[in-house]
Order: sequence, then C-alpha cells, then structure tokens
Amino acid sequence: MTRLQIEKTKSSPEIDFNPETHIHSIKGESYPENTTQFYDPVLDWINSYLAEGYEGEIVFNIELIYFNSSSSKILLDIFDMLDETKNEKITVNWIHDEDDEAMEEYGEEFEEDVEHIKFNIVAK
Amino acid sequence: MLSQSLYSYKSSLDRDGVIFTFCGPISHDIVEGVGVTLKSQLAESEVKQTTAMKVFAVFIEQVQNVINYSQERNDFDSDMGMGIIVIGESKGSHFIIGGNKIKASKVPVLKENLTELVAMNKEELKAFYKKKRKLNTSEDSKGAGIGFIEMARKASKPLEFSFEKIDDEYAFFSIEADI
Repeated sequence: MTRLQIEKTKSSPEIDFNPETHIHSIKGESYPENTTQFYDPVLDWINSYLAEGYEGEIVFNIELIYFNSSSSKILLDIFDMLDETKNEKITVNWIHDEDDEAMEEYGEEFEEDVEHIKFNIVAK
Repeated sequence: MLSQSLYSYKSSLDRDGVIFTFCGPISHDIVEGVGVTLKSQLAESEVKQTTAMKVFAVFIEQVQNVINYSQERNDFDSDMGMGIIVIGESKGSHFIIGGNKIKASKVPVLKENLTELVAMNKEELKAFYKKKRKLNTSEDSKGAGIGFIEMARKASKPLEFSFEKIDDEYAFFSIEADI
C-alpha cells in the first residue's frame, strides 16, 4: 500500500493516510466543489487498506474545523466502513477545538452511530 | 441609467442590514472567496465565534444549493448555477437568504419536505438528520440531501421559504435562515 497524501485547499482537508505507522489523518475544512470526486480516492484507499487486514492498532485522527452536509455523509460512510470490520483495534479520534461545542456535538452524533470501533472525542 | 440609481440601491441594502449580496452565476471559486472573507469579517466583528460559524455553515449550504440545483445555468459554464444570495444582520440576528429558479414540477415535493421540516423541533431535526444521512441519496440529489436539515438545525427559528410562479415551467424558490 502506498501512503495517501492530499494537500489541503481552502475547501478541502489535508489527507495523510500512512500504511507504515497506521496513523491516518483528515485535517482542515471540508466543503469541496464535488464531494464525491474529492472523497472517492479516499474511500477507495480505506477499502483496500482494510482489506489487507492489519492486525495492530489503527488510528484515524479527524480534526475538522468545518464540514458541509455532503461531507458529513461521507464521514459517516467512512466510520461505517471502519465499524463494519468489527475490529476493536481501530480507534477514531474526533478532535475539536475545546471552545467548539458544535464540533463536539457532531462528534457525539457520529459516536452514537458506531458500535465496534473505539470512538474518542478529544478537546484540544 | 442604472448607474445613477446604484447609490439608492446600495442605501436600500444598507437599510435592510445587508452585509453581502451576490446575484448571478455562482461558482465554487466564489464560494471559497466569499467564505474566507465572510469568516474573517465575522471574526473581526463582535459576533460570537459560534454564531459566525453558523452563519458560515448556512451560507455554504445555501450557495451549494444554488450551484447544484438552480435550473438557470451559466451559458458558458454549466457548473455555475445562477441565483441570488443575501447575508445580513438585523435586530441582533443574522439572516442568510438564497434564491434560484427551479422546475415548477419540483415545487409540490419541495414544499411538502420543507413544511415537514419547519414543524420540527431541534430534537426531531437531529433524529431526521441522522436518519436521512444514513440513507442512500436520491438520484437527482448532488449532495447528501440533508442541506436543508443542516440549515434548520443551525437556525434559531424555523426556516422561511416561498415559491413564486415564473411561468408554467419554472418557479422562483427562496429560502431564509435566521441565526
């Protein structure tokens, strides 16, 4: 697997998925012009990565300042993909600014929708 | 000449508390540009950060609706939807209004969906948002189909909307969120 790195723009987040460290991050703002087009390679990467079945700890750090409604749907798709593996060694860290209650609530809403993976809400 | 009435037009917008307005073809570049400006402008004002983010979030949903769903397209670039966006502040609250042309045949369904939405309280909106987010999106939806719910959740009172008949084929749709 090769590392997936996408630089951030004004409306799309930085993606850094690292199959060596197994620490992956999505960071920034997300309201791309074409959500599907932006996220398709990201979802494809996750699919192939999960198919490899790494048995150690896997971490996804999600640190978003803002995301629009269509990105919200994609995030749920990502968490669903992770959750469907039923792999308890997968951790999602939902990182939000400590003053940003809205982002904290969004995190809680995603947390309610996952069953198997660890989902931490982290104030920074 | 229009140039002579421009000042009175501007004064009228000022009286209504309009901070920003745009009418014409809306592209993603405009969304990004205005979004960044709007955020820094709100950050410098005395508006609370949480309010500023809500205004920004509703603005994004509004402009992306115009881009995705306006039936009036730019002649040179069909990725651009034609529409109007107005952001303002009046009596201590912010308003974000979006308007665009839609097919008259879409009016009944849209009206029904929005009527359902405006009757919901915050808890119901949350449940509805989560339910809709889980569903696969309908074919004619370019986003997640939850933009209006998102707007309703951010708004401090129910969304206001209207449909004006243009002709047998088209209607003008406008929607306002107050924060």
